[in-house]
Amino acid sequence: MGRNNDRDGARRWRLAADVETRRSDKDDLVAVAETIKNTRLLKDEATEEKGDRARMASFVGAMAIADLVKTTLGPKGMDKILQSTGRGHNVTVTNDGATILKSLHIDNPAAKVLVDISKVQDDEVGDGTTSVVVLAGELLREAEKLVNLKIHPMTIIAGYRMAAECARNALLQKAKDNKQDPDRFRSDLMKIAMTTLSSKILYQDKEHFAKLAVDAVLRLKGSTNLESIQIIKKAGGSLKDSFLDEGFILDKKIGIGQPKRIENAKILVANTAMDTDKVKIYGARVRVDSMAKVAEIEGAEKEKMREKVQKIINHGINCFVNRQLIYNFPEELFADAGVLAIEHADFDGIERLALVTGGDIASTFDNPESVKLGHCKLIEEIMIGEDKLIHFSGVEMGQACTIVLRGSSSHVLDEAERSLHDALCVLSQTVNDSRVLLGGGWPEMVMSKEVDELARKTPGKKSHAIEAFSHALQAIPTIIAENAGLDSAELISQLRAEHHKDTTNAGIDVISGGVGDMENLGISEAFKVKQAVLLSATEATEMILRVDQIITCAPRRREDRM
Amino acid sequence: MAATAAVPRASSSKTESYVDTKRRDDVRQANIIAARAVADAVRTSLGPKGMDKMIASANGEVIITNDGATILNKMEVIQPAAKMLVDLSRSQDAAAGDGTTTVVVLAGSLLKSSLSLLSAGVHPTAVSDALHRLSIRAVDVLHGMAIPLDLSNRDALVKSAATSLNSKVVSQYSSLLAPLAVDAVLSVVDPAQPDIVDLRDVKIVKKLGGTVDDTELVKGLVFDKKVSHSAGGPTRVENAKIAVIQFQISPPKTDIEQSIVVSDYTQMDRILREERNYILGMVKKIKATGCNVLLIQKSILRDAVTDLSLHYLAKVKILVVKDVERDEIEFITKTLNCLPIANIEHFREDKLGFANCVEEASVGDGKIVKITGIKDMGRTTTVLVRGSNQLVLDEAERSLHDALCVVRCLVNKKFLIAGGGAPEIEMSRQLGAWAKELQGMDSYCIKEFAEALEVIPYTLAENAGLNSIVIVTELRNRHAQGEINAGINVRKGQITNILEENIVQPLLVSTSTITLAAECVRMILKIDDIVTVR
Repeated sequence: MGRNNDRDGARRWRLAADVETRRSDKDDLVAVAETIKNTRLLKDEATEEKGDRARMASFVGAMAIADLVKTTLGPKGMDKILQSTGRGHNVTVTNDGATILKSLHIDNPAAKVLVDISKVQDDEVGDGTTSVVVLAGELLREAEKLVNLKIHPMTIIAGYRMAAECARNALLQKAKDNKQDPDRFRSDLMKIAMTTLSSKILYQDKEHFAKLAVDAVLRLKGSTNLESIQIIKKAGGSLKDSFLDEGFILDKKIGIGQPKRIENAKILVANTAMDTDKVKIYGARVRVDSMAKVAEIEGAEKEKMREKVQKIINHGINCFVNRQLIYNFPEELFADAGVLAIEHADFDGIERLALVTGGDIASTFDNPESVKLGHCKLIEEIMIGEDKLIHFSGVEMGQACTIVLRGSSSHVLDEAERSLHDALCVLSQTVNDSRVLLGGGWPEMVMSKEVDELARKTPGKKSHAIEAFSHALQAIPTIIAENAGLDSAELISQLRAEHHKDTTNAGIDVISGGVGDMENLGISEAFKVKQAVLLSATEATEMILRVDQIITCAPRRREDRM
Repeated sequence: MAATAAVPRASSSKTESYVDTKRRDDVRQANIIAARAVADAVRTSLGPKGMDKMIASANGEVIITNDGATILNKMEVIQPAAKMLVDLSRSQDAAAGDGTTTVVVLAGSLLKSSLSLLSAGVHPTAVSDALHRLSIRAVDVLHGMAIPLDLSNRDALVKSAATSLNSKVVSQYSSLLAPLAVDAVLSVVDPAQPDIVDLRDVKIVKKLGGTVDDTELVKGLVFDKKVSHSAGGPTRVENAKIAVIQFQISPPKTDIEQSIVVSDYTQMDRILREERNYILGMVKKIKATGCNVLLIQKSILRDAVTDLSLHYLAKVKILVVKDVERDEIEFITKTLNCLPIANIEHFREDKLGFANCVEEASVGDGKIVKITGIKDMGRTTTVLVRGSNQLVLDEAERSLHDALCVVRCLVNKKFLIAGGGAPEIEMSRQLGAWAKELQGMDSYCIKEFAEALEVIPYTLAENAGLNSIVIVTELRNRHAQGEINAGINVRKGQITNILEENIVQPLLVSTSTITLAAECVRMILKIDDIVTVR
């Protein structure tokens, strides 16, 4: 009731304002301004926040998000439990920034910006999803201090831009490229994969998985199409039992009474109804006057199916994979013809299979010559753990391969898949852009040093912002050290001193808890990842800094919200 | 931890998610406490003198069991860390099939030690790393203790199956069930792939009535169904020719909607006659091949058989079993070494299976169909489990499953290890000694964890009503003197050489217990936040 009264009141009030507006046409400007101030531009429940308040709200929101994922950074970062409020209260345990952020409920617009950059980072380079959010958060934290010192946000932005440019140049100079030398290139890839994996659940078996990932990516021969690397998760066994298999594995069963092993297979991939070809007109029915006629129609339907199966067999195939169900009757026909028929392969499986075997997905079978068949050397049933799967080896598309992940529980498997996916993304990017950097906070320290020098040379208030940028960069090694339970202040100062020498490979060695030589420890990162982290974090910060007003639209009716 | 403590918190956040996250140490502590509560819940069911739990589910169903995995599955815990322990026992069930309680109790004890390490200021990742090293080393210790096994040594296999059964409700029947489990598994081992056993080839059929004593291994097939003899068909057929059919013996039905228009009285008679002829035609075709037993797949589209067709089939003396599930077809065809027939046109003699005898037997108040003496039988086997009430029956099935898994483990990895707490004490002793050689955090953590392993013998003794401290200290003493196979003999209530008592278990069960428990504990340790998400 109270709400209705309020609304009525508001309407009356607005009517009055309307009248006043009309009247004010003739009045002087002061009155206009006065009226506009009182006029309601926005809907009832919409709110707006302005100026400092708005900026503060976005700073706080963005920093809260950064703080949330901060503890997952680095090789000794912690995991989070994501507890779903949806059905089943599913539990996910993860260390992957993008996964954590993706699943959050977020109400704060600035926080959403950070979630978005992490998502973009995930799509673009696959790794560094946590770093980018943490760096943006640190940049905002520094910016907040500057704003409190009454430095105009635009000045801060200008300073940040200069600093980012300078930092990028510093990285460019230091990046190494070993593309010409295949052996060293491979060892670079191994190092990058191991560095990426060392912050994940696969840490203990990182060499094994780094090798898996590198082998898989090198098979791609430079393409970034990760589609042809298939990851199959099978519970049971331990992570060490995971393996890379050339070819394709389909998690399906072979029909009863059909050959379990086919050499030189000719495969027809199809998406067609193998239950019955129905007349798809609603209400179509036949009227007959005797049982014999019904039997005839049934016979005709069977005959139709038989013809269809015959047409399919006439393609000269010995393996038929269908996306839809294959009923008993056609299954038996296939079995009689010695054709291996696989039913109910899911969409994803079908498309991938068509891709790797080089065939088309067919749905009509009248023109055998126009349908491209897929080929592979051997189809056989294999057993992984408890389950039987169908293995296609020697496929047309040579780069295709399957990684079979084994692990003790579904949590472990899911997290392993996410980690491996990150590694694969990074590696495939690195194959294209083979510049590498050292890891362990080394790039941040290099950038920070250059940016510091720039700050000293730059006159004007901008230099404060540039200096702040350098601080924010140093926050990343600080957090890595803190997460490992090390004395961060001590380590960072040592590291800074080390970096003021001309050339150094010093970074944080989390394992021994001191400053170490990253080159010797084999900790490398892809240039592309670092660059993406730097640039998108700076851009996101700039975007949030520019905000001086937040308008929240009136929510829709309750039932529309989730 | 000291260095990480000073992390500023922006608590006035606007995000919904941030409202119910707690401080990291609290989260970790809460997780550990919740997980330990789960472990404590199943602790008393460990060992041969462990107690059973009665679980009353929400829909009024009651289950009595001693199987850790089953108890935890039914507990419906909500706390995420506690859920992970439930998953842990499930993984152990999948990996080894036995030791589902042990793994949870062990994880609980490791968590307890972790908690004290954490409160002493050790960084969680250091604890976690130490635990990883410990688990690798522990597996080495276990390998050192293991006794190689030959699969032809049936006695040894029976012994280990019996050890698994001894802690169950059906322990008094272990002398019957253990050899049964061994025979069942060995009969499905394919000589071409001697390391792989697919337990799906062992079918367990439960039938109420009788006692567990009546449980038997059937060389052949058993259906928990009646023969359809409402029309007076045969219930016993010798020299059976069996067809598995996937079509229906009933009036025709088209996929497209159809209706028969009857315009006058005489037509009705004709239609009835035609229907009769149609079915008779099918039955004749079936009979022509010499088939005398029909297994008919269940059909959802129409009746698989009608009274009329049953009548005709009875006339030609064909035994009919109807409503066979589609997913059973593969098992059946594999066993009978025949092919399913999906169309009457394809009904040929070469698709039939042969058996000496198909008969309906009455057991208790129900009836079953037995097919025995199958010619060229596939590598499958069926176990008919009997029990006086549903609870016993279910528990017998679960126990038998565990026993089957134990035997399967032995086929996979042909090593045995002593039971009765001997491996745990030996691990604890050797790892404790190893901890003294190490330096720094690892040494400190491993020493703590090595002690935590003693929880298994303690619990065994406690559950058996023995003085656990006296027993475990004596056990430790005996192991220190080099008797690595000394263990707790629960029956005699003292320490004996456990190998002489025939208490053995597969190595795989012990190794997977320690590795899985360590993996789960490490995962829990690494969590520092619970975030509520969509």
